[in-house]
This record gives sequence, structure tokens and C-alpha cells, in this order.
Amino acid sequence: MSRLSGLKGLRARRPSNQSFSWGHRGRRDGGGDPTAEPVIDVRGLTKHYADIKAVDGISFEVEKGQMFSLLGPNGAGKTTTVEILEGLRDPTSGEARVLGVDVRKGYGKIRNRVGVLPQDFEPFDRLKPREAVAYWAHLFDRTLTKEEVAGLIRTVGLADRADTLAMNLSGGERRRLGIAMSLVGKPKLVFLDEPTTGLDPGARRELWGLIRQLKSEGTTILLTTHYLDEAEQLADDVAIMNHGKIVARGSPADLIAKHGQGHSIVLAGAGEDGLSAVRARGVVAELQGADVVVQVPLASDMRRMLEKLASIDTPLNEIYTRRASLEDVFLNLVGARMQEGVLAA
Amino acid sequence: MNRVLADMKAFGTQYIRSRVGTFFALVFPILLILLFGAIFGSSGSSQVTLYVQDQDNQPASHAFTDALNKTNVLTIRAIPPSADFSQYIRDHSINVALQIPPGFQDALAKAENGTRATVNLTLAGDQTQSSYGIAVSAVDAVATAFNLQVAKAAPVVNILPTSVPGLRHLTYIDLFLPGIIGFTILSTPLFGMTAICAEYRSRRYFKLLATTKLSKAQWLAAKVVFHIVLLFVSVALMVLTGILVFGLKAVVTPMAILIIIAGTIEFTSLGMVLGIFVRDPETGAAIANAIGFPMMFLAGSFFPVDAMPSFLQAGARLLPLTYINEGLRATMTFGTDATAFIDLLVTLGFAVVFFVVAARGLSWKSR
Ligand SMILES: Nc1ncnc2c1ncn2[C@@H]1O[C@H](COP(=O)(O)OP(=O)(O)O)[C@@H](O)[C@H]1O
Ligand SMILES: [Mg+2]
Repeated sequence: MSRLSGLKGLRARRPSNQSFSWGHRGRRDGGGDPTAEPVIDVRGLTKHYADIKAVDGISFEVEKGQMFSLLGPNGAGKTTTVEILEGLRDPTSGEARVLGVDVRKGYGKIRNRVGVLPQDFEPFDRLKPREAVAYWAHLFDRTLTKEEVAGLIRTVGLADRADTLAMNLSGGERRRLGIAMSLVGKPKLVFLDEPTTGLDPGARRELWGLIRQLKSEGTTILLTTHYLDEAEQLADDVAIMNHGKIVARGSPADLIAKHGQGHSIVLAGAGEDGLSAVRARGVVAELQGADVVVQVPLASDMRRMLEKLASIDTPLNEIYTRRASLEDVFLNLVGARMQEGVLAA
Repeated sequence: MNRVLADMKAFGTQYIRSRVGTFFALVFPILLILLFGAIFGSSGSSQVTLYVQDQDNQPASHAFTDALNKTNVLTIRAIPPSADFSQYIRDHSINVALQIPPGFQDALAKAENGTRATVNLTLAGDQTQSSYGIAVSAVDAVATAFNLQVAKAAPVVNILPTSVPGLRHLTYIDLFLPGIIGFTILSTPLFGMTAICAEYRSRRYFKLLATTKLSKAQWLAAKVVFHIVLLFVSVALMVLTGILVFGLKAVVTPMAILIIIAGTIEFTSLGMVLGIFVRDPETGAAIANAIGFPMMFLAGSFFPVDAMPSFLQAGARLLPLTYINEGLRATMTFGTDATAFIDLLVTLGFAVVFFVVAARGLSWKSR
């Protein structure tokens, strides 16, 4: 609960305190109107189902040009939140405004300014990317020239696959097609719901490049993910979500500084024996799996601590030092651990 | 408009590329015509000879006989008014015969002045034979037209079927082909749309479409227009096969085209209404079959409703496909557009209701 009050402090500060700005905003939107309405403004939003509070009173806003990430394990309520903001589900209570309109009523006016890549996007099997993009543009009342279609397909890196039936595209290529389709209306705001889930590491990295490029063109992006590295790599602003609530909010660096515990030393594979050996030397440590982890809040203490631990003769795999990451933040805030790079609640 | 056309084009591209759909829409009905035509239509002429005994012998009864003659399927021969009706049929081994009793014109005249009146025509023949079915449909269509013109739809002219066993067998391609068109109007859009709704839901295409400016009604309209085009192609192929292989006499009239359009709207929408309840392709197929197949058989696609037992006939009146089949037969085979017009109106009524229910009931959003 004390974490939540920390979060409130963050929120309360932001609207009034202009010195709290994201790096890119000073550069890119320097000429922007600081009093302008946020692109997304969510207050006290809830979505209750019969047996679960999928979204349980969350508030946040996203400024123009920002890459905002909802980070959380499966079932945290990310998709529910995003679909409310896309006008696809009605909230139980609370307020949600997107591009200045109430998502319950005003979506007709902003449809062609919002791009959506749904979770687990599947393209139309029997359309080729070239056809799908041209078709989708018409549904936003835009008629793209052949060159514009080709340009968009090139942007997402599908140039040599433009005339392949979508059913024959790889997982990564399908997502790219989905992103191309979400961009046909030249949207000001793009929702990407778990854009890289299920892709191999190479395809993920390529998509990250594409998402960064999108951002560099000034598009506001709301990205959900359960990959910590993805949020850390891409987002300016992260809201960590769990059980329908936002449990922490800030830039990746802020979150790590605030909720991570600086550096740590890991005695990999040292196990219970290692833990007792470390404790016997008067060092505070904890067991994470088979690893013994010693927190070192001050970097200057690192050397002394390493020397202290070096003499331990319990069998172990390796000793390494680790800088705190969002993973530690998660562990601290949610008690969730990583399983193969994915958060597990 | 642009959105509807774009959606229709994209949908059509996918449909044609899927082959299975194209087979059932275009090839399957042709196979049915060839199969049934070969079984039932190989012998005899395509016209039924109807013997008429005109006991009234007034302008009205002459007009009625004339109208029968103008249907494409009947050749009219006279039975002398003085002859014994049943005896004459047996003596001349006649297939089907119609008796117009004295007082036919009187009854019509009374009805025209607003007085209640009925007159019973006797139609004798073997009711198990297709020639009898053709005659019943033709006489019924003409009688309906008379009732409409004269008495503002009050049933003045009734037909009393009478059995005379042991008669010859005749071809029925002219009667059968409109039924197959009706069958296709039901099967192509109905089975197609339930499958599409199931696929769009399970693959979340509806949700994807909900993020665009395309409305549900526009999406449905695109599917309707596509199916109308598809049905036109299909009907053209069927009629061509009918003419080339079986010497089809029935013609695709403007009224038939209107019925095809209304019927396609009706069953495309009904498919989507069913799609509201469909979560996966298997249940989709099951629901469509459960509704579609009984309707095909009971609504007179393969034989006229008039040839069915009376309790089934009553049930057939409740089925939307009945009106399409009868309307198409009336206009294409018997040339009685006045009868077909009623069927068109009923079909349009169903179409509007189904379209509205579909556009309202189908939800693209999640809960
Ligand atoms: N339509 C629904 N009916 C009932 N429960 C739902 C529905 N949609 C989502 N939920 C539940 O709400 C919670 C949040 O789901 P979701 O927003 O999809 O999480 P995430 O996207 O973070 O994985 C889950 O427990 C899920 O089972
Ligand atoms: Mg999700």
C-alpha cells in the first residue's frame, strides 16, 4: 500500500510541474502547448465482470508524442484497459477520454485518428498485404495511391512480401502487416497490444525498430507488454499493472531508482548451503531460486562486499554483479517472477 | 458507399480464392439440375396437357381458360360441357382435367360487388404424378391472380383436387428449376454467412472491423450485394444448363429478378441473425443445417407445396423459402406475375425484418 502512495505522489506532481518532462518532449514538442489536453486521460476507470475486477480504479494520462507502456503479467487487465480506450468495451465506471472525446460517446469522431493493433492480431488469410492495406484505408475513408500503399508496406518492411497471401506470412510479418493496417489512417495515436508476444527474439528486435521509428515521427503510442525488456527498451513512461490496479508509474529509470535496490551480487547456484555461509559472515542475503542474492545499495560498497563473498567455498556456478532492472521492481512490487523473460503473476 | 464497395471487393476476392464456397455456390446447383433433370426429366414433353370442361361457358370462364393457356406449361384441350367428367377422363386416359362449374361468372360478379361468393373448380388427376403438380401450380397461380383482380384477394375461386389414378409420367424441369434457384437463394447466403460470422468471431475480425469507420449495417450490406451478384451468376449458369440440356421453357422475368434480390437479402441477413449466436464454425454449420435442410424440403424446392400432404402445406406457409419458390414458379413457369407479386412482398417483409434484426443484434464489441 505504501507503494501506491508513492504512485499518487508521482501523479499529483505531473500536471502542474512542467520540469517533470520526458527527454523527447523537450526536443520534439518544445513548441507544443503545455496546457493542451493529454492524448489519453483516464480517471478512476473500472471494469467489473461477474467474478473479477478486471480494471480496478486506474488513472493515468498520456501526453502527445509519448510512448506509454502498460506492463504487467497475463490477466493484469491491460487488454481490458486498452479496449476501453479503443471504444470497443464500455467501462463500468470512471472516465476515459481519448483525443479529447469521451470513449463511450465520441468515438465516431476520432476513429480515423486512432490506429489499433489488437492482441493476437490475425490478418485476413486470403488477402495479400498490398490488397489488405488498400482495403483497410477505404474503411477509414482514405483512398491510397499505389505508391502510398507500396510506401506503407515498405515502412513496415514487407516490401518483398507485398504479394504473398497473408496465410503464408510468418508470425513477425503478420504483425507488421497489422501495424501497416493500423497506420492507414495516419493516426495520431496508436494502440499496440502485446505487439511482440509469441515472436522469436530476432523478429521482436525488428519490430522494436519499427515501433521506435513510429514514435520518432511523433505518433503517440500506448504499448502493452508483459516483457520487461520491451518496456525498458521502448517506453518513456511505464505503468506497472497487476490485478486491475496500477502499482507503480514512472520512466523505467525512475522506477528502477525508486523500487529497485541498486546493485546486487548473485551467487548463482549456491543454494541453501550458500545462503547459510553468506549469513554466517553477517551479510544480509536472500534465496531466489537456487541463487543467493546480496543487495548492495551503494555502488561504493561493491568491492568490499565482493571480497567478503569471494572466500566462500560452497560449490556454485558463478558469481556476477547485477544492476537493478525492472525485474527487481516487479519482484518488489508485485512479487512476480520472471519465467523465460516473461512475467508470471 | 466507398466503404461498402471496398469491403465487398475484399470479401469477394477472399471468397473466390477460397474455392469451396465457389463450388457450393456455382457448381453444386448445376450438378443438382443435371442429376434431378436426368432422373425425372428424361421422358415426355415439358408441357402438361390440361383438359378443361367449361360448364359455365361465359366470358369469365373463357378468360380463365385463356389465362391457363398463356402459362408456358399448359396445353389446353376442351372436354364437351355435356360429357360426364369422370367418365370422359377414363375413356380418354387423360392425365389431368379441370372442371369449371356453372355459375363461375356469377360468383365472380357477386364478389366484384362486394358480396361473399365462392366457386369450386375440380382438378382431377393422379396426385402423386409430377404432371398433376404442374397443373395444380398453374391453375392455382391463375386462380390467385383472378381472386386478386376481381375480389381484392378474397378467395372466390377454389380448387378441389380429385384423384384419378393410373396416369402417365411427365417431365418437370420447368417446375423444378425455379425450385433449385430457390434452394440456392437459401443455401449459398445462409450457409455462407453463418460460416463467415463464426470465422469472424473466432478470429476476432469483428473486433478488428470495429476499429474502423465501417458500420455493421454497411458490412452486412456489402455481404448482401456480393451475394446478389453471386446469385445472378449462379442463376445464369443454371438457366443456361436448363436450356441447353433440358430445353427449359421457364424464363427469368423482371419479377423473378426482384424475387432473387429480395430472397438474397433475406437469407444473407438470416445467416447473420444465426451468426449472432454462433461462437465457432462447428455450431455454425450445425445451426445452419438444422434450419436450412428442413426448409429446403418442406418449402417446395424439389416438388411443389401443393403436392404435399395438407398438414405439411400448412407448415410450409410459415417458411420464408416457400414464398420464394412459389413466386419464382409463378412468374418463371406460369407467367402469373400477380401471384408472384404477393410472394415478392412477403419475401421483402422477411428480408427487412431479418436485416434489421441482424444489424441490431450482431455485436462487434466485447462485453
Ligand atoms: N469478457 C470477459 N468476461 C469475464 N472476464 C474477463 C473478460 N475479459 C477479461 N476478463 C478477465 O479480466 C482479467 C484481465 O484480462 P485482460 O485485460 O485480458 O488481461 P491482460 O491483457 O493484462 O492479460 C482476466 O482475469 C480476464 O480473465
Ligand atoms: Mg492482454
